[in-house]
Amino acid sequence: MIEGWENMSSDQRQEVFLAKWASGEGIEFAGDSAKAAYRYRAGLISDAAKLKKTPDRAPVVILSTFAPTMLYGCPAKKAMYDPDALGKVWVDFARDYDADTTGNPAMVMNGPPLDILGYELYKWPGHGLKDDQGYQFLEKPYMNAEDYDHFISDPTDYWLRVWFPRTHGALKGLGLMPPVYGTMELPAAGPWLATLGAPPVQEALKALMDAGKASFEWINKLLPYMGAILGAGYPMYAGGFAKAPFDVLGDSFRGTGELMMDLYRRPQKVLEAVDRIVPLMVGLGSSMAMANNNPLVFIPLHKGADGFMSNPQFEKFYWPTLRKVIVGLAEKGCVPLCFVEGAYNQRLEYLADLPKGECVFIFDRTDMGEARRVLGGKSCIGGGFPVSLIMTGTPKDVEEETKKLLDRAAGDGGYILSIGCAMDDARQDTLKAFIEAGKKYGKY
Amino acid sequence: MEDLVNAVVEMMEDDALALAKKYLQAGTPPLQVVEAYKEALKIIGQRFEKGTYFVPELILAGEMMNTASDVIKPYLSSEEGKGGGKIGKFLLGTVEGDIHDIGKGMAAMLMDINGFEVKDLGVDVPAKRFVEEAAQFQPDIIGLSGLLTLSYDSMKQVVQALKDAGMRDKVKVIIGGGQMDAHACAYVGADAWVIDAVAGIKYALEWVGK
Repeated sequence: MIEGWENMSSDQRQEVFLAKWASGEGIEFAGDSAKAAYRYRAGLISDAAKLKKTPDRAPVVILSTFAPTMLYGCPAKKAMYDPDALGKVWVDFARDYDADTTGNPAMVMNGPPLDILGYELYKWPGHGLKDDQGYQFLEKPYMNAEDYDHFISDPTDYWLRVWFPRTHGALKGLGLMPPVYGTMELPAAGPWLATLGAPPVQEALKALMDAGKASFEWINKLLPYMGAILGAGYPMYAGGFAKAPFDVLGDSFRGTGELMMDLYRRPQKVLEAVDRIVPLMVGLGSSMAMANNNPLVFIPLHKGADGFMSNPQFEKFYWPTLRKVIVGLAEKGCVPLCFVEGAYNQRLEYLADLPKGECVFIFDRTDMGEARRVLGGKSCIGGGFPVSLIMTGTPKDVEEETKKLLDRAAGDGGYILSIGCAMDDARQDTLKAFIEAGKKYGKY
Repeated sequence: MEDLVNAVVEMMEDDALALAKKYLQAGTPPLQVVEAYKEALKIIGQRFEKGTYFVPELILAGEMMNTASDVIKPYLSSEEGKGGGKIGKFLLGTVEGDIHDIGKGMAAMLMDINGFEVKDLGVDVPAKRFVEEAAQFQPDIIGLSGLLTLSYDSMKQVVQALKDAGMRDKVKVIIGGGQMDAHACAYVGADAWVIDAVAGIKYALEWVGK
């Protein structure tokens, strides 16, 4: 690891990790100008994030899921089942649209392992959706109220033996497995291993093997394209992924309705559960970031937005553990990039309670003037451009709105120009107008 | 029955149910118990408007209402069980291509407890079906829900289909979802846009003159 890492502060570790990422080490560049362009773009992001230096201009970051493939006429189904089609489109998108970063195409989930596992948390093209529709989340109460104690005492055991069988059709057999802890002593190791041999468990393990193999083949086909994107000089805006603990519990375990009622029915259990999720998210985000040699950890925020709950509820149930995840990632040298979905007009003061320059907030519907006023000089902000204008406006509308947004939000640095939405669709003329206007008017 | 009203308003779920049962068993006319719940919901609604209550209270109130109606039903005569006069009809669904239903579910529940007769068509509803159902149900308001940007086009198609069927002038169309705004509303040709269910109720009540 890096010399002196043990004794560095979070701020220093972020600086070091960002510099390592922005240097482009390990990337095979197409040429010197691509290398310079990569360093310039990653430098814009680093400078904006750390608030220590005014960047040359506000970086332009396009958050997207299926927008690139849709723009090139590649339906979502093809993108999920043909790594060459996906990879080629993302290379073209990076070059033709020339924003400062791209997403990571590996985060556009591939279809084959989902088919093998019988994944039930999403619908995707060919599985409940048409070929040209991007995947959509299917929220249900996958965890029952009486499961809280199991979850809290051992989330991983719960995840493996209860949640997997409920959410992955082919992994039902894992429900028959006893806890792994028997393996430490022979009297209990034998019985544990014996259950692994039972046909339903074997089938589940085989499904995992097959899904792993399919994913491995996929990523190996995709890697050259990812190399080409980086090699052409475009850094990626996400090295890792994490979520706010309350969203983990609400999105993938209890479901919105049940969790919201839990705030009254069993508040203590909710608090214990979200606290238990904190180290899991820090570990997830930081390990992905390290593996990708990219400190940016993308954290989409869902159920803490204005309108979902009151400020006292946010202060009690949502913010403390999100803050711990942010601080925990920063301690690992990662830079949390929170994508603040919905509006946070009532919550900005909470976000202001973080060490300076350690977290980035990309906003969706929050008033960007207020975000600048409250968070300016404290955390890097970004976003605020309405996706509706990309979808329904003219290039001229988009240019004017971009200019207005920059006037309001860009300040003297610490701003990332972005659309307040991870786009699953876009339009060529307006998206290009947005990116061009950003470069033109975003100069400091 | 101030104690029952308070228990519902303060989200004391168990106390509220126990009190409702106690009153019913003591021979209180069931419609009076219904009235107490309605009174409580009115206060809950006011707290929504003031911004002290949010989604947790809304969902729990709906749940308390459902549980209560199961308990009260056996005490009601067949005439009373039919329910009072409704103030309007509301047809809603998540538009074609979109399967998100949390916001739609909340809108349906809120409209119901505010006195509307609600027909929920579910998710991924094509324009054609909206028009067919509207022709049958004769709603005052049609609510189109969608979380994705692709829903703009699906919503626009519904409005166009209503126009083609000569029905657009007879209904109000409201669109709801996380990416709705004035640009989207103009594009779709809707009468109003909202990003939360409570805001939608205000439009609906205004439109039916309540």
